[in-house]
Amino acid sequence: MDPQSTIILGKAIGAGLAMIGAAGGGIGIGLAVGGAVQAMGRNPDHTPTIQTNMILGVAFAEAVAIYALVVSLIILFVLS
Amino acid sequence: MNSFWNGKRRFVALLMFLGGVFVALRVPPVIPFIQLPGEKFPEGYNIPFLDIRWTNTMVGSVIVWIVLLLFVVYVVRRRPKDGNEAPPGGFYNMFEMLFEGLMGFVGGIAGGRHFRLIFNMFMTIFLVVLLANWMELVPGVDTIGFIHPHVKEKYDVEKDEYKVITTDGYEIYQGFLGISYVNGQCDWISPADEATADEAALVAAAAAAKAAEMDMNQDAAYARYQAEHGDHGEGDEAAGDGHGDDSRGDATESVNAVSVAREGPLADRMAEKQARRDRGCYTGVNPVPWLEDDHSDDDHADDGEHTDKKHGIPLHPDPSSEEAKLVPWVVLPFVRVPSTDLNMTLSIALIAFVMIQYIGFKALGIGYLTKFFNFSTLFKSPLGGIDVAVGLLELIGDFAKILSFSFRLLGNIFAGSILLFVMSFLVPILPWPFFILEFFVGVIQALVFALLTAIFMNLATVSHHHDDEHDHAEAH
Repeated sequence: MDPQSTIILGKAIGAGLAMIGAAGGGIGIGLAVGGAVQAMGRNPDHTPTIQTNMILGVAFAEAVAIYALVVSLIILFVLS
Repeated sequence: MNSFWNGKRRFVALLMFLGGVFVALRVPPVIPFIQLPGEKFPEGYNIPFLDIRWTNTMVGSVIVWIVLLLFVVYVVRRRPKDGNEAPPGGFYNMFEMLFEGLMGFVGGIAGGRHFRLIFNMFMTIFLVVLLANWMELVPGVDTIGFIHPHVKEKYDVEKDEYKVITTDGYEIYQGFLGISYVNGQCDWISPADEATADEAALVAAAAAAKAAEMDMNQDAAYARYQAEHGDHGEGDEAAGDGHGDDSRGDATESVNAVSVAREGPLADRMAEKQARRDRGCYTGVNPVPWLEDDHSDDDHADDGEHTDKKHGIPLHPDPSSEEAKLVPWVVLPFVRVPSTDLNMTLSIALIAFVMIQYIGFKALGIGYLTKFFNFSTLFKSPLGGIDVAVGLLELIGDFAKILSFSFRLLGNIFAGSILLFVMSFLVPILPWPFFILEFFVGVIQALVFALLTAIFMNLATVSHHHDDEHDHAEAH
């Protein structure tokens, strides 16, 4: 195998492995939204407060997944 | 006007759809060259009064600011002069709706003494980031631009020189109403590789011919095998042996030099080149002098102003010329979504960070620092050390906010724009669902950015001391 293909292979595998981190973000967002929807169903009067806190939590959980994404994008497009 | 269009809009949509089909068939879409930093414009496109070249994300952010300023001018001029006037409708009304809705929203989170400052920051960041994110939905952004020669080069440490390696560029085509476009159909092979392959074919053919002339059946067959397979690199040893035995087996038929030359590697090579030429792609035998330079005499000193200093690649050759077919091309968009550049997101994140600290000092004075350096309980209580550690963690957490703010927005929007590229490439006619998705992602990311800023600003105004608890309660 020539060096160029080896580099591409390594990049692709690395980027794919980095994206495993997105699973954690997905679980976190699912838990947060599930809890928030249940809470909104029980007391709809508090929907605005719950929604705000939900968006906050989702943003934090998503940030972790986005770090994984940024790492894999850097592996793919910045490393040469 | 309105009645005229009733029932006819669907036909307009159908016409546009058919036009899209035609364009997609005539001009096959290519995946744009994906690059994380903003692409620099070619030489000569400097920012006025500065010695910095434009980048396309910078152009995007300038457009965002111009649109935002026009928006502000419109709203201020359109605003009713006194309360008795009938409220205007239309676009202005939409703005008022947005304003009031968000005002109530932020009021519920950060209502209090500092509401006005917090809301100003919230609204500014929201509108800027929203417009920047929505730019990826505008047709032409990321797709129309300079057709720019693109050669990737790599520093060879052992030989101490720059080496031109394979590129991600495309062949250029002239056509379709005189508009040039790049086409992904040709695999661009660097002239050096072409020359190497030609040379290898020639050597192999010569070897085969020589072997055939020796008229030794076994050796000729073996040489022919080598000539046919030698230029494919090191093949599998086991398979090679097996094939070699077969060749020796049926080597009874005479092999002469003419047949080797006609069917041998050289003929294969010529056929391959002809096939590529038929597809309209470039083929040639090392016509590019810059590939043979060893770059020892390039000291960025002379050369024409329209050539790349290092290679002498013409920077703006006529796309239809033969010269233009020597270099691979990429589209360098005029405008790129500003949120896909770390400079933009990082600068907004820094502004947010500075404002968070500013409002903290404004609300709590110098006492704000005790949030980070809390030595007051160190000798009073047995667990005082924990407070010190918590304060230091808060300090680290505050700086981590810059990172998380900037990378969250960058990651989301950059990934979104790549999604749009790839979907437009795979399904050139119907990428609409993804545009709708990106519409909502843009709103949500703008809201999250602004909302987190507002919440952190509100948190900074609240003292963590227990004796200030009534102040906190009053704020709500």
